Amino acid sequence: MSQQIPVSALQAQCECIIRSLGSDEKTAHRLAQMGILPGNHLRIIRIAPLGGTIEVVVGQGQNFALRQEEVAAMLCDVVAMPLVSELVIAGQNYRIRTLLGGKTFRRRMEKQGLQEGDLVQVNNTGEKPFPVHLVESGEDVELGEGEAKKIIVEVTAGGPHS
Amino acid sequence: MVPTPESLTIALGAIPNSGKTTLFNRLTGASQSTGNWPGVSVEKKSGSFVLGEYSITLIDLPGTYALSPATKEEQVVHDYFLQSPPDIILNVVDARNLYRGLGLTLQLALSGLPMVVCVNMIDEARRQGVVPDVKVLSQHLGVPVIEISAKTGEGIPELRAALYEVIKHPGKTRPPHMSCPPLIEKAFVELAENITRAEIASRLDPTFLAMRLLEDDRPQQWLQNDQVTTIARRLRQQLEQTLKTSMPVACADCRFNAARGLTLEAMHRQPVPEDPLSKTLDRIFLHRWVGLPIFFLLMLLLFQGVYGLGTPLQELLASVFDLAGSWLAQIKPVTALPVWLQSFLLEGLWQGMAVVTSFIPLIALFFIFMSLIEDSGYMARAAFLMDRLMHCLGLDGKAFISILLGYGCNVPAVMGTRILSSNYSRVMTMLLIPFTLCTARLQIFIFLTAIFFSPAAAPWIIFLLYGFSFFAVISMGLVLKLFNIGGRPEPFIMEIPPYRLPLVRSVGFRAWHELKDFLSRAATFIMVGVMLVWFLIHMPIDAQPASDASWAGHLGQAFAPVFEPLGIGWQETVALIFGFIAKEIVIGGLAVIYGGTDPALLTGHISALQAMSFMLFCLLYTPCVATIAAIWAESRSIKITAISLGSGLVFAWITSFVFYQAALFLGFH
Repeated sequence: MSQQIPVSALQAQCECIIRSLGSDEKTAHRLAQMGILPGNHLRIIRIAPLGGTIEVVVGQGQNFALRQEEVAAMLCDVVAMPLVSELVIAGQNYRIRTLLGGKTFRRRMEKQGLQEGDLVQVNNTGEKPFPVHLVESGEDVELGEGEAKKIIVEVTAGGPHS
Repeated sequence: MVPTPESLTIALGAIPNSGKTTLFNRLTGASQSTGNWPGVSVEKKSGSFVLGEYSITLIDLPGTYALSPATKEEQVVHDYFLQSPPDIILNVVDARNLYRGLGLTLQLALSGLPMVVCVNMIDEARRQGVVPDVKVLSQHLGVPVIEISAKTGEGIPELRAALYEVIKHPGKTRPPHMSCPPLIEKAFVELAENITRAEIASRLDPTFLAMRLLEDDRPQQWLQNDQVTTIARRLRQQLEQTLKTSMPVACADCRFNAARGLTLEAMHRQPVPEDPLSKTLDRIFLHRWVGLPIFFLLMLLLFQGVYGLGTPLQELLASVFDLAGSWLAQIKPVTALPVWLQSFLLEGLWQGMAVVTSFIPLIALFFIFMSLIEDSGYMARAAFLMDRLMHCLGLDGKAFISILLGYGCNVPAVMGTRILSSNYSRVMTMLLIPFTLCTARLQIFIFLTAIFFSPAAAPWIIFLLYGFSFFAVISMGLVLKLFNIGGRPEPFIMEIPPYRLPLVRSVGFRAWHELKDFLSRAATFIMVGVMLVWFLIHMPIDAQPASDASWAGHLGQAFAPVFEPLGIGWQETVALIFGFIAKEIVIGGLAVIYGGTDPALLTGHISALQAMSFMLFCLLYTPCVATIAAIWAESRSIKITAISLGSGLVFAWITSFVFYQAALFLGFH
């Protein structure tokens, strides 16, 4: 389902497929001109230290700086996001795409039973520590917010976003 | 008999960051000239070189992503191609990033004009193991494709040979095919047929014209054929309704699809690896906590590099000119001249030359450091970091650096606005730079605060003046934005290029050309300004210079009612006229006017409050003739130059008035 991503959900590692460039024709024209087009994947790399401006990588690996209003105006299909993102819908299945961070972090997550490729669910968003339900083993684990930030999940086929 | 060389025009077009300028320098060497494209502050560079029996004019078009105009630069390139198509097109693409460049290449190839494509940075591409197959590209595009490295000079002879071949045997070019959705293709065909039928005289391919017509909002501006433009408008409306996207977006989509396909074929489906160095460097330079401190550190280095090195050199040159001037004043042929002529030669002409020369080290250093920052790719990062701050003025982050450098000297800072990405940013920034407290003004403030305030208070006054200058820049920015001066802000979409090692050759080239440019464009203006001031101060001949009998004195007295409410007497007004040459002269000017040699005698003539009002006026009014000359040279617009002069004077007057009257009201005197 295509949606506009609210400004507050524009976080690093969010990824989506652009469906429409937004209603402002001038901006749309300019985006298209530079090769940011409907159908392209767009992934947020980082937010500027002062906020407001974001760096994205589009399609075949081109990096751009954009303002968040311009991205928020686009219609997108969300593909991936950090586990803490407000885009994550409670009670839905997500697949772990990447565990950011070093070896220690991976090992710690593995001990908890979290690995890349696993299916997870988040039940009560907004709570700390962060409760995560492991779909395959049926177990529930609790993660710190910092840990959950480093877990990037993707939307599964037939899931809520598709 | 030697045949007269035939002159031909080649247009060099490419997307930004593809090494276009390096190639331009490579081909034309020293024979370059710069100007502006008519009506906009977009730089126009052209150069010449000889190719066999032909003399070639090479036009460096602004870097653009496509021919469908979304920015002023793109409008310039678009109009150029449609109104005065060049004899040959030379297009450059980055070998490591074919996909990005090929969109424009396809558009250009469709024009039907003879064309040569260079695949640039082939040496770096080889190092990364991503070498495109130029044969495949050439086959698809229907034009010669040459591997080159503008940096090392590799492939340049082959490129010249290919251009020569194209001139000698133009032949019929075969425009490439670009598949679009059937509906759009049908519209192209229908419109092209109409264009052919209307027998529009153009060297451009009818299908190319049809594409431009369908993407253009105002085709009647370049095609005087109502019948065709009406059909185009109707077709566009139908298409946009059916496809539910605007034509420029739909066309960009088919262009990039074609480019993607062509890239895959040319690379034999080998994926392009990402640049690991840029990724690592960005993790540091754009880091959430470390990024900004590094930025400010680099800005400090930049500032120190330009002004720490430049200002002493500037002073050195000034003292050389002073020494030579006093030597000249004593030699026989000069002393034999009438006194007024001596004064004109030494204080008018010689002084003017001194002012012009004193900017040379600053401008050279400024552009050396700016090129380093720009060519390395850090400029885009700086723009990213500072964007939020400048966004409120409708400017992007690059403008921050220009304005910051104004705090050293306004002249190079104004010249540096040409690196900004949009016409709006350039105009806004060059109008804001004059409100920055440059080092010349700082000299006045240091001097006046030292004689009017206690040593403990003086630094605070200077600090307040700096604070007020920041405030002036921001408030003026908001006012100018309100009046839409310079058009509307452009949406900020900036490519972040990979980091690159700057080339000493091109950095040197740049500095040298900017200097040449400054001397040819601004020097006359500065000389005229300085001499004008000389006349005001020294005429009529029998009057004491700068006295109440001189023209400047008359002018000062005529304006006395205007300046009186600011607490500025006619004598100080004359000093402000002096300040038009260069702010450094204001103090000396005051001394001359009050007829003393010791400027500290000033305390007997004006109060501390009046001095403060005078300083505020100095901070805000027209910086100096050189800045005005630079604004004029950059904008080529009398309107913008006049706005700069006017806004400075009005803002200065209001500020001093409010300050002085409020202080009087509160009982200070």
